[in-house]
Amino acid sequence: MTSYVLFLLLGLGAGSVYSLLGLGMVLKYRSTGVVDFAQGAIAMWGAYVFLRLRLTGKLELPWFALPHEISLGTGMAIVPALLITLVYGTVLGLVVFFLVYRPLLRAAPLTKVCASVGVTLFFEAVAVLNFGTTATSAPPVLPSKAFVISGVVIPGDRIWIAGIVVAIAVALTVTFRYTRFGLATRAGAENEMGAALIGLSATRIAARNWVLATLLATLSGVLITPISSLDPTSYTLFVVPALGAVLIGRFESFWITTAAGLGLGIVQSELVKLQTVFTWLPQQGLSDGVPFLIILVTMSLAAKRLGARGATGTLRNPSLGRPTRPGATALLAFAVGVVVLVALHGSLRAAFMASIVTVCLALGLVVLTGYVGQVSLAQMSFAGFGAFVLSHLGHSVGMPFFLALLISALSAVPLGILMGLPALRVRGVNLAVVTLAAAAAMDALVFSSVKFTGGLGGRKIGSPELFGLDLGIAKGNSYPRVVFGVMLLVVVIGAGYCVARLRTSATGRMLVAVRSNERAASAVGIRVAPVKLYVFALSAFLSGLGGGLLAYEQSSVSSSTFTAQASLSLLALVYVAGVGRIAGAVVAGIMFASDGLFVSFLDKTLHVGQYQTVVAGIALALTAIQNPDGVASNMAGERGPGPRVAALRDRIIPRRHRPVVLDVPGQDGAFVEDVAGPTPVSRA
Amino acid sequence: MPATEAEPEAEAVLTVTGLEAGYHGIPVVRGLDLQVRAGEVVALLGSNGAGKTTTLMTVAGLLAPLGGSISFDGESIGGVAAHRLARRGLSLVPEDRALFAELTVRENLRLARAKTGSERDVLDLLPELTKCLDRKAGLLSGGEQQMLAVGRALVTRPKLLVVDEMSLGLAPVVVERLLPVLRRVAVGFGTGVLVVEQHVTLALDVAERAYVLAHGRLVLSGTAAQLRDQPDLLTASYLGDAVRAAPST
Repeated sequence: MTSYVLFLLLGLGAGSVYSLLGLGMVLKYRSTGVVDFAQGAIAMWGAYVFLRLRLTGKLELPWFALPHEISLGTGMAIVPALLITLVYGTVLGLVVFFLVYRPLLRAAPLTKVCASVGVTLFFEAVAVLNFGTTATSAPPVLPSKAFVISGVVIPGDRIWIAGIVVAIAVALTVTFRYTRFGLATRAGAENEMGAALIGLSATRIAARNWVLATLLATLSGVLITPISSLDPTSYTLFVVPALGAVLIGRFESFWITTAAGLGLGIVQSELVKLQTVFTWLPQQGLSDGVPFLIILVTMSLAAKRLGARGATGTLRNPSLGRPTRPGATALLAFAVGVVVLVALHGSLRAAFMASIVTVCLALGLVVLTGYVGQVSLAQMSFAGFGAFVLSHLGHSVGMPFFLALLISALSAVPLGILMGLPALRVRGVNLAVVTLAAAAAMDALVFSSVKFTGGLGGRKIGSPELFGLDLGIAKGNSYPRVVFGVMLLVVVIGAGYCVARLRTSATGRMLVAVRSNERAASAVGIRVAPVKLYVFALSAFLSGLGGGLLAYEQSSVSSSTFTAQASLSLLALVYVAGVGRIAGAVVAGIMFASDGLFVSFLDKTLHVGQYQTVVAGIALALTAIQNPDGVASNMAGERGPGPRVAALRDRIIPRRHRPVVLDVPGQDGAFVEDVAGPTPVSRA
Repeated sequence: MPATEAEPEAEAVLTVTGLEAGYHGIPVVRGLDLQVRAGEVVALLGSNGAGKTTTLMTVAGLLAPLGGSISFDGESIGGVAAHRLARRGLSLVPEDRALFAELTVRENLRLARAKTGSERDVLDLLPELTKCLDRKAGLLSGGEQQMLAVGRALVTRPKLLVVDEMSLGLAPVVVERLLPVLRRVAVGFGTGVLVVEQHVTLALDVAERAYVLAHGRLVLSGTAAQLRDQPDLLTASYLGDAVRAAPST
């Protein structure tokens, strides 16, 4: 019994971290409507700043390449280091707010999410550049002396940190309920114009809250380091359980968020204990996975209680494309693709292939987020599932690759439908977090299974074969082979063609109707639930297909490719590229994918090399600010290259339909009915 | 209620000269001249789309003026942000009321209250609010919400109160109760009041002077009494008749 109590108390450590990060995220959401995925990265940065001050007396600045350390003497005591770190956090909060989030205050929630992913990438990458990837341990900050009460050893630091968290939660609750600052924040978030009319500046209120939340992140970084060793990536992952706590607190309640965060930590800790008692329990991923399953289930069932800002109508929809002449476009795209494949060599050709695969993954999001407005942060989980199923199928000899690919893509469909179930009750940002929890659960429970995924080393994939013909990416010394690229082109352009046809079909109109207004859609006889499930299934299929292609492309498959973080990055890339358009998927693949053609080209010519992720982070945030509606939307505009490309296509492959000539009595010219609208022609 | 002329020597709180206002650089209101003095109620009338709301939004700093000048309390305010104007004593009650629906009536008032102001005299003026102080603003009836919107503007102790379409969506009996409040605000607090109103007769009962806009231009101006006595002129101006001052009767 005492050991259960001990594990409970140990769980308070991780739980406090989730709560602290969660409190900051609630603060940010309530004041600016941003679900800030970068909270963990900021905590990590704050932890490094504090640690460097204590150990070396150097102040770390958040940039790279240039000198980034200011020496303030030798190692510092806790108090001065903490004070400097908190001042630093204040400045950092202000800078990040005014550079990134201030321009996005009125942007769609997903645009803000993309910017926050950019900020995360930036801080992670700078930390890797400046501090390396090795984990560092830190001296204790809080009194860590254990004490014993009736036989139970109580770890002192856990009690302290939990006490601090509870105190902060109480302070925030009181502040928001009873002070003018709290009232003003609630007012400003609810009605910006109303706030301005009584003399409150919504921007200033948001900035103050942002600074406060950044301080909380910094403080959590400082407090976590002695409990959990510090490295650039693992802290950013704390955001996922923290978001779970935030979701239970409905993005609103400080004390529910705190309780949920502490509860999650305790459940995880107790699960570790239970694994030692009941050895039949899965030994991997249980403590990481189960809390997310709990979040997933409770949130889906208790959806009626979800509300706040993310409930209705806050997800402003990105602009939609309307494909013209999908057949001709597909043919032309194929021809261009083959030319590019032949023209490129070595790493650039491989990068182009990676781009094509990303296009396929992105198509899944175009259908789901673009056409129906549902957010999924589990796309890479679908892809991973498909890829691993393919790796198992590959061993059954003689199966044509397309059949294996089809089966693996289909295997992701039930998962997609399962993910669609919460979407029947939850919308917008809440849905994003629920799917993120699902992805985290998949990471922990499914992808950690050595039997299914082959553990750390992953699983090998055989070459795709068609009637004895080897279509693999490598054969002997030749890599990457054109024939593999052609296979990719056929599959992905085929998928793109189908998506284009879907968009202009009756089903496509149903999807867009559901996206615009679910009630209006049901009023005209569309059954919303089946439409949503259908599109989740379709999206999972496309992702599974992409996962399979990715596996063929890499000749092996490993679970580290398909993390929840990867899904988040994918959504950010595709959203910024233009999630409402197939062209957006293409832009995401060719221009933005980190292993894609454009980035590899930059890497080769400008030798961005080690700075690639930093640049990607900055680029992502900047693109989100500059193109809140996606790059592809701008390209499709009158001044963009879209119309010119379409005109070129029409010149190369002229339209074959016979014009319908309408004779209008009393008019000099007849009118030709055309897709592009009526064009006057002179009478023959 | 008989309209009384404001003292001629009362200083102007708001002077608008040659105002051009509109959206995306396209003017809706052109060459508008208008004045509101301390302690008087001025009505801005006109049919739908005449440019009344655009004028108010521009005066309150929610829209940047495209041309002309706006001076408030002796200082030029063209392009000053709305929240700064609110702090300087220019308070707008917009058409949609812009209340904080999630906050209670008391919280709405407390948040807006100027350091020197108090809710007490506002509640004396609008006693209906007293009984729903702890109710969320979003749960109030339309009339109560409108009262709260006016009350919230008044606790800021404005020098100029600008009210857009107070009667919108309200029962006539509520409107008859509410509009005279503006008159008492002007007399009691010495506040200048500029009110946009569709309900012409009621507006002219409350206001001392009125301006009529049609198609973004000023077509008629005069004292409320003059306009009341010449309904034909008023009708003609609504239909866009030429610019003129109402001849005195």
